[in-house]
Amino acid sequence: MFWKLAWRNLWRNRTRTLLSSFVIAFGLSALVFVDGLMEGMTVNMVRNATDTFLGHAQLHRQGFRDELDVKRTIADLDQRIASLEQHPDLERWSKRVLSQGMLASSAGAEPVLVIGVDPKRERDLSKFDEGIRDGNYLESASGNDMLVGSKLAEKLELQLGDRIVLTGIDADTQEMVQELFRLGGIFHMGTREMDEAMVLAPLQTLQKMLLLEEGVHEVAFRFSNLDRDGFPQTPVMLPVDDRKNKLQLWSELMPALNMMKEWSGVSMSIISIILFFIIGLGITNTLLMGLYERMFELGVIKSLGTTPWQATRLMFYEAACLGLVSVLFGIVLSILFTWIFATAGIDYTGIEFSGVTFQEKIYPALRWERLVQYPFWTFGFTMVASIYPSWKLFRMMPVEALRKRKF
Amino acid sequence: METVIATERLNKKFGEGDLQINALREVDLTIQRGEFTAIVGPSGSGKTTLLNILCGLDLPTSGEIRVSGKPLSSMNGTELSRFRRNHIGLVFQAYNLIPVLTVLENIEYVMLLQGISPRERKDRVRDFLGRIGLEGKEKRFPSELSGGQQQRVAIARAMVSEPDLILADEPTANLDSETGSQLLDMMRRFNREQKMTFIFSTHDPMIMERATRLITLTDGKIVQDERRE
Ligand SMILES: Nc1ncnc2c1ncn2[C@@H]1O[C@H](COP(=O)(O)OP(=O)(O)OP(=O)(O)O)[C@@H](O)[C@H]1O
Ligand SMILES: [Mg+2]
Repeated sequence: MFWKLAWRNLWRNRTRTLLSSFVIAFGLSALVFVDGLMEGMTVNMVRNATDTFLGHAQLHRQGFRDELDVKRTIADLDQRIASLEQHPDLERWSKRVLSQGMLASSAGAEPVLVIGVDPKRERDLSKFDEGIRDGNYLESASGNDMLVGSKLAEKLELQLGDRIVLTGIDADTQEMVQELFRLGGIFHMGTREMDEAMVLAPLQTLQKMLLLEEGVHEVAFRFSNLDRDGFPQTPVMLPVDDRKNKLQLWSELMPALNMMKEWSGVSMSIISIILFFIIGLGITNTLLMGLYERMFELGVIKSLGTTPWQATRLMFYEAACLGLVSVLFGIVLSILFTWIFATAGIDYTGIEFSGVTFQEKIYPALRWERLVQYPFWTFGFTMVASIYPSWKLFRMMPVEALRKRKF
Repeated sequence: METVIATERLNKKFGEGDLQINALREVDLTIQRGEFTAIVGPSGSGKTTLLNILCGLDLPTSGEIRVSGKPLSSMNGTELSRFRRNHIGLVFQAYNLIPVLTVLENIEYVMLLQGISPRERKDRVRDFLGRIGLEGKEKRFPSELSGGQQQRVAIARAMVSEPDLILADEPTANLDSETGSQLLDMMRRFNREQKMTFIFSTHDPMIMERATRLITLTDGKIVQDERRE
C-alpha cells in the first residue's frame, strides 16, 4: 500500500518528476561518460607509451637507468631471457644497447641517445618502423645504417645517405670511440624527445664500437593477454637470487603515466561527489515541494492513524521510486552516450600530453561495473537526500497540516 | 451506560502574553456509547480545537482525556497514532480522501494499518459500499466523485475499522442541504443500528435537529448541555 501510494504520488506532478529524474539521469550518465572518457584516455596513453617504445616491461642491470653507464650490461643475459620466456603470455622481446653520445654532421653536432637494436626483433616491439618518413628502416643488426628523428635531421641538415659520425665512450677502457654511419632513414614519432634526440643503429655495430661484446643494456618485453589496467595477468619476475638485474613494469618505467592514471581516479571521485551533491539537492527539493504541496493530505494520512514512522516510510518509498526511475533512465542514457562516442571516437590526435602524444582517436571505454557502481551511489544519494523531507514529515503535526485546508 | 471518552477540566491556550487565546476553558465532557452529539457555537468558540484534542491530534494545555479509563497524556506520538487508528474515526469538512487512492483503497487504508487480513478487508469494504450506496464505484478516484459521494466514502472509511467514536468536524458544511441531509440520515442510521457513537461540530441546523445531545460552546466554555430523545 505504501509503495502504491508512493508510486502514484510521484506521478501526480508528472512534469516535475520527469524533470528531476532527467536531471539525475543526466548527471549519472555524465559521470559514466566522463569516467569512460578518462578511462579511454589513460588506456590510450598507456598503450601509446608501451607500444611506441617502452614495451610492457624492461630488464636492466641494477642502476643502469640512473646514469646510462655503458659498463652496466645485463648480467646472465641468456638465462634471464630464457627464464622470462617461460611466462605464459610473453609475446616477444628485443635486446637493446643504449648509449649517450654526440652525433656530428657537416652542419654541426648534437647530443643524442643512440639505441642499438636488432631490427627484426625491434620491428614488432616499437613503432620506429611505422614512423619512417624518409628512407628505410634498418635492415640488419650489423652494417652502418642509422635512423634519426625528424627534428634532429633538420638541425643537422641531414639528407638520406649522408655520412654521420657518432662519438661515444667504450665500456672497456672508457676511451672515446667514433664510428662512421650513413643516414638510412628519418622517423617522425610525434614525441619531441624521440624526434629530437633519439637515433637507432644496428645492435652488433654498436656492441663492437662500444666494446660490449655480446652485452646489452636493455631487454624490452611485450606481453599479450593484459589486464584492464595494462599489466600482464601473471606476475613477471626475476629469480629472487638475481640481485644484479632489475625488471620493471611500464608503470615503474614511466611513473608519470601511472600518476596520471591515479590522478584521473582522484579527479573522478571529486567530480562524482560534486555531482552527487547537486543531484541530492535536486531530489531534496523535489520531495520537499511535493511535501508542502500535499500538507493537508499528509495531515489527513497522519490523522487517520498512520504512525510517524510509517509516514516517514512513505517519503522514503517515494524517494526510492524516484531514484529507481532516474537510475534506470540514467543507465540507458549512459550506454547511449558512451556508445555514440565509443563508435565515433574523439579526435585528440597529435596533442602531446605529459610527454606522450595521442596517436589515435580516443574511444571512451565503458567499464560495465561502472553501470552498477555509479547508479548504486546515485540511488544511495537519493535516499540520503530524502532524509530531510522524511524527517520533516515525521515531525509534522497533523493539526498544523490540517489547518492548511483549502476552503 | 458505557463511557467512551471523558475529559477533565480541559484547557487549551494558543499564543502567549497579550495575544493569548483561551480556546478551551475547563471543559468537562463525558460521552456515552451510542450518543449522537452535536457541538455547536459561534465561529471561533473552540469546536475544532475540542475535536482535535479528543482524538489526540492536539494536546491540551492542561486537563486530561480518558478513553476507557486510559489517559491520553501518557501516550507518545506513535501510541497516539495507534490510538486514533484503533479507536477513532475522523471525518473532516472536505478533502478527506487520499487523492491517489481509489474509493476501495481509501476505505481499506485504515484496515491496512490495523493489519486486517485481505479477505476480511474485502468483505467489509463490499459491505460498506452497499451501505453507502456506492457499489460499482470502488475503482474510482476521489476526483471522479461528487462532494457528497466523497463524504460518504470518508464516513465509510471512518466506520469500517469499527472505532469507538467518530469525530466529524462540520461534515456537511461543503454540501448542499439535500446531500447533507441524506448523509446525516445515513450516519443516524449507523448510529441506531450499530450503536456507533458520533460527535459533530457544526453550524448546521439539520445536524442539531437529529442530535440526541446538543452541547453549546461559547469562548471555549460549555454553556449548555442538552439531551433529547
Ligand atoms: N493553531 C492555532 N494557533 C492560534 N490560535 C488558534 C489555533 N487554532 C485555533 N486557534 C484559535 O482558537 C480559537 C478556537 O478555534 P476553533 O478553530 O476551535 O474554532 P471553531 O469553533 O472550530 O470555529 P469555526 O466554527 O470557525 O470552525 C479561535 O479563536 C482560533 O483563532
Ligand atoms: Mg472549526
